[in-house]
Amino acid sequence: MRAIWFISQIALFGLVSSRMINVPNLDYFRYYVAGLSIMTLYSAAIFIGFDIYEEADHGVFEYLLSLPVTRRQLVLGRSIGGGLRAFIYVGPLIGVSLYVIGAISPINFLIALFSLFLFAFGVSGMSITIAVVLKSSDRFDILMGVLDALIVRLSTAMYPLAYVQEANPLYGWIAKFNPVTYVADLFRWGTGLEAIISLDNPLLPLLGIIAFFSIFTFVGIIIYERRIEGGGWQ
Amino acid sequence: MPPIIRMVNLTKKFGNLVAVDHLNLEIEEGEILGLLGPNGAGKTTAILVLATVMRPTEGTAFVGGYEIKKNPDKVRGVLGIVFQEPKMLWVSTPWDIVNWHAKVCGLSTEERKRRVKEVLEALDMWEPRRKNVHALSGGMRKRVELAKVLIQRPKIAIIDEPTAQIDVVGKHKIWNMLRELREEGSTIILATNELYEADMLSDRVAIMHKGQLLVCDTPKKLKDSILGGDIVDIQLEKDASPKVVEELKHFKEVVNVLQAKPSNLRVYLNQVEEVVPRIMNLFMKESVPIASIHMSEPSLDDVFAHYTGLTIEEAQKGGG
Repeated sequence: MRAIWFISQIALFGLVSSRMINVPNLDYFRYYVAGLSIMTLYSAAIFIGFDIYEEADHGVFEYLLSLPVTRRQLVLGRSIGGGLRAFIYVGPLIGVSLYVIGAISPINFLIALFSLFLFAFGVSGMSITIAVVLKSSDRFDILMGVLDALIVRLSTAMYPLAYVQEANPLYGWIAKFNPVTYVADLFRWGTGLEAIISLDNPLLPLLGIIAFFSIFTFVGIIIYERRIEGGGWQ
Repeated sequence: MPPIIRMVNLTKKFGNLVAVDHLNLEIEEGEILGLLGPNGAGKTTAILVLATVMRPTEGTAFVGGYEIKKNPDKVRGVLGIVFQEPKMLWVSTPWDIVNWHAKVCGLSTEERKRRVKEVLEALDMWEPRRKNVHALSGGMRKRVELAKVLIQRPKIAIIDEPTAQIDVVGKHKIWNMLRELREEGSTIILATNELYEADMLSDRVAIMHKGQLLVCDTPKKLKDSILGGDIVDIQLEKDASPKVVEELKHFKEVVNVLQAKPSNLRVYLNQVEEVVPRIMNLFMKESVPIASIHMSEPSLDDVFAHYTGLTIEEAQKGGG
């Protein structure tokens, strides 16, 4: 279903909207396809938070908590597992977008791919952290909807940073420090797509992605440990 | 040798509900402790607290020498748990579930392959090992749950309702496997509603009710603790004189003597195996030949009813 949605977005929305948008030196269709890949990866990685509630409902959580592993190993395993799963789901779709976008530079692309991995792990860690803090699937569902709207729309996933800044400096400032912006820009840079790169040096968004991954994996572990140890999720 | 598990005023509250109420209990290494109690007695909560899945509200416990609040990781390293409701991972087969569990418990690839096959075969789960767990019956799913602890062979095994939904033949097989697990060095806590199962397997039985520990002792001592719980029916070849009956009543273990017919006596007493030879001597001395003698001990059902004030039927309906 995700694949149908993805291809419809490219074949319908992307194709139609790109005819309305005329940005100098930018093929908006290819720009949009790259951004859509990131949005899809984000949505897939966030899903692990819903798994946490489902596992709690079915008692699998109790089983996981009784295993002879530390809470750190458990959350690290979950966030890496969630990230990998998202990557596996979205991998073929990224393949489709690469086909649409066209030529790639191998080294740049490997760096971009690495950043996609870190981003997926980071989003999974964020999702798990929020899920155990909220302790309510309804609240989580609502917050994720809001977060998705804000984090994706206040990024360069769908439009270049210059336009976001032009619309509102605050939006621009948020988009500039948004992990979705970092990974979207890196992906476009990695695929050799002609685009307005928001930051001059690809090292900066890469560092941003590493920071995002680190915060939600390692800080997430501490929060998870505190919230979960001893049945605190109940 | 210090006890392998020591609970000190272990308490777990959920709001105003006291699920486990100041539990004090010691379990020796290599022991099988039967944990009995009606539904809602607090057995599963106590188990989850010991397994560090839940934190106690008050008090503490030492498991394998580690304090549950200070060293939860180390506690989890020495114990394995079989849950009341089988815990299945999503869209998995029995083989996937058991193999994954063995991997997490740190078994090497070779050992894992061997043990997974061994245990699944022993539990008659080798044939359906590739079936989706959602297609399995309740009893088969319980076997998969049980396989986890049999593969893990933990120092301390906590087993909640080991034979729930399992047929009679399967039950005996599983009981033997649990005995073998103990012989291999595991200490076992067996939470069960099945009194016969507790009687068959346990070295000691602890009875819980409304979160509290009512009593803990060997099944024999618990049965003996019911005043007049043993019954001896004596059929005499001639009528018993009032003098004999009176002498019988003076035995300190005898609680009551009923004389349905002049030659039929029903004696309510304790420690039947020690008293019967003395009863026979008395009748021989008084030249009253015994035609037949039938002894019956109280069952653990009687002990349970005695301590909880509930019949098994009431307990099964959640009377706790």
